[in-house]
Amino acid sequence: MPSICLEHITKRCGPTLTLALDDVSLELQPGERLGLIGENGAGKSTLMNVLYGLYQPDLGSVRFDGSAVALKSPREALKRGVGMVQQHFTLVPTLTVAENVVLGAEPLKNGLIDIDRAVREVEETCRRFGFALNVRATVSDLSVGSQQKVEIVKALHRGATTLILDEPTAVLTPQEADELFAVTRTLSGAGRSVVLISHKLKEVLAFATRIAVLRRGKKVADHLVPAQTSPEALAALMVGSESVAAVTASKGAVRGAPVLTLDNLHARGIDGVSLTVHAGEIVGLAGIDGNGQRELAEVVTGLRPWTRGTVSLGGQPMVALTPARAKQLGVAHIPEDRQWRAMVGDFSAEENVALGRQAQAPFAKGLFIDFRGRRERTMRLLDAHDVRPREPGKRMAELSGGNQQKLIVARELDANPKLMVAVQPTRGLDIAAVEAVRAHLRRVRDEGCAVLLVSLDLDEVLALADRVVVMFEGKANGEFPRAAVDERELGRRMLGA
Amino acid sequence: MKRALPSILSVVTAFAVCFVAIALTRGGFGVAADAYGAMLWGAFGDWPRFFDGGQVGVLLRPLGEAGTKAAILTLTGLSVAVAFRVGLFNIGAQGQMMVGALAAAVCGAGMSLPAVFHLPLCLLAAAVGGSLYALIAAELKRRRGVHEVISTIMLNWIAVAVIDNWLVVGPLRAAASGDNSVSGTEEIANTAALPLLLGLSSRLNLGFILAIVLAVLLTVWLQRTRHGYEWRAVGLGPEAARAAGVPVGRRMLEAMAVSGALAGLAGAVLVLGTEQKYPATLGAPYGFDGIAMALIGQGHPLGVLATSGLFGALRAGGTRMQLFGVHKSFPELIQGLALLLVAGKLIWVALLSRLARKGAA
Repeated sequence: MPSICLEHITKRCGPTLTLALDDVSLELQPGERLGLIGENGAGKSTLMNVLYGLYQPDLGSVRFDGSAVALKSPREALKRGVGMVQQHFTLVPTLTVAENVVLGAEPLKNGLIDIDRAVREVEETCRRFGFALNVRATVSDLSVGSQQKVEIVKALHRGATTLILDEPTAVLTPQEADELFAVTRTLSGAGRSVVLISHKLKEVLAFATRIAVLRRGKKVADHLVPAQTSPEALAALMVGSESVAAVTASKGAVRGAPVLTLDNLHARGIDGVSLTVHAGEIVGLAGIDGNGQRELAEVVTGLRPWTRGTVSLGGQPMVALTPARAKQLGVAHIPEDRQWRAMVGDFSAEENVALGRQAQAPFAKGLFIDFRGRRERTMRLLDAHDVRPREPGKRMAELSGGNQQKLIVARELDANPKLMVAVQPTRGLDIAAVEAVRAHLRRVRDEGCAVLLVSLDLDEVLALADRVVVMFEGKANGEFPRAAVDERELGRRMLGA
Repeated sequence: MKRALPSILSVVTAFAVCFVAIALTRGGFGVAADAYGAMLWGAFGDWPRFFDGGQVGVLLRPLGEAGTKAAILTLTGLSVAVAFRVGLFNIGAQGQMMVGALAAAVCGAGMSLPAVFHLPLCLLAAAVGGSLYALIAAELKRRRGVHEVISTIMLNWIAVAVIDNWLVVGPLRAAASGDNSVSGTEEIANTAALPLLLGLSSRLNLGFILAIVLAVLLTVWLQRTRHGYEWRAVGLGPEAARAAGVPVGRRMLEAMAVSGALAGLAGAVLVLGTEQKYPATLGAPYGFDGIAMALIGQGHPLGVLATSGLFGALRAGGTRMQLFGVHKSFPELIQGLALLLVAGKLIWVALLSRLARKGAA
């Protein structure tokens, strides 16, 4: 088991050659569990991708037991025992667990794949490291948590002695996350080292033997010991100031009349959901990815037809709903997939502000675009929501993810919605932007807007929602007022209990 | 202007490469320069001879010929470009143009009306014909999910089979006059012909003005109207447009109808302006050239106009290159090469940004 040393790594990335890593050095000893934290874009993933051979550093070197090695590909990194589980899984869904694990290094017999041997070998690896996996199961039939285990087994099977996990718990229930951490403890106990990339502070504190913090491409802290630090101290290091407000508690705005009522709703992916969202409250839909939350948001915003049951908006039952009609009735939408559904990358910022209201004042005058009105409104929103740069003519795709999202939130709020449907509204944003978006959602709630929040991040649901509804297999599986929430119970409900 | 840069660089590079090719195969750079000179004078007017005391005709004849070709290229180019802007790849401009040409020829020959009604009616017939033909593909896509590239290519062949191989040589063929058998359809009435702009010295006709006006109108439509904004939104981000309440399918249908109408008008300009009938063969495959015009013109109506102007002129001048042993299709070679280079647009973008960085450093 080698000790690894990243020395003075500097790396520029992207079309504008932003400095992603600025002279970062980091060493890693066998048996360590390193928590690598930082905001989005701080360079955590970039640094680890250098170690994994995906990126070559512009300057600096990687040393294994003291000797410098040029890692030109993940294959070479793996040869030195470095394995990485990416945020997005790289499994072939139609193949079995065993087939996925040996993919690219299949045992052969007479030139053909020796499936039996593959199964035997993969089963052996699972047993060695204590993974309970049916290696003959097809990957698409597995839960997300199990798929992640397959990724880990894949890395271990290929001899990884250093395992990098990039935001591994983003898609897991609390129970699955605990299980994952138990596995990593076993691994480090056996002398292997594990790196956890995360921005969830609690989880890093629970997992790591040592914590390092990156901020804007620089290492700002290292060798922090969990017992001697706190979430507040870590957050301050990540953001660079002590002024990070703790999550503000909901004030419990006055709950008004029902704005959205679903009664026994059936649609593709939804199997009988009844749900009411009142004016002045945030209802959070919690659940593991793929249990109908997304589909529910699509029905409410007019993007998905329903087959049975009723949808009422503002007390009026709907016969059918198109996106245009939903908009008309005051439904605003912050979609999950921003690039695809919320914005047109090749449009300018102001053209994106007009999207959805292109036929109304101040964006149109008769049949023509009202260029001046659009410019003024855009400037106002850019200022009010601190979107940078303040250039209404800037191509949307050239804005950073956080600024894109801020602008989309600004646009949706600007329409004075009665119902806000927010799906994963803070995904991929840095702490400051996350707080800004959440503050806006709380504000509209306080102003009497009904908010339906869908998030796969349980912490987010708990941070915002006045009421939590758990979705499981297309059904509502329990409803809890915020005050009465027990995280363990939520986790059990998310798994179908 | 910044957007046009890759196109301009591509065209210039194509020119240079072809220049070297001529020099290498036809005996030196002198020959190449002579051939290029002949092409350019034939394209944009023979200015040296004019200043030597030549007639105005040495300018007007080439320019007129250039304008005539440019008009048709512009219309088919606009046709492809408009579909492009809503995200559809209309390979069927050729077939839609044939349908439009036939409609114009039939209306032009089969009716007798005063010119104020006859010409507009023929143009309308061509536009409607092309439009309906394009809508077949659009509807197939909307209802059955048939990809428009496949359906428009097949519709092109159906147009060839039905129009060129049957109607024009069969039921609609002009009656033989005396012993001379005539090819193509009946000649159109004078009242249906597009008026000539430069008198009899050139074939340049009102179609040229029509093409320019339509290019300008389309620019205004796409850039300035809210409906045009919706078209662009559909083209650049269909799902975002749908989520924003834009009826995406309907916008695509509309754009395809306009696309077909423009291709149909190209056919009408060819028939009512140049040929005076639907000829036995429709001449150059202008519909396919439209794809090149749209792509080199970056899908922008004015870009299409500029591109068509250039290549229309080059084609008009291309015949003159024959004097130097260079085949007259050379402008098409330049066009093809330019298209290839535009298709590799990202290379230019990368090259330019590298240059910009060097400049900044």
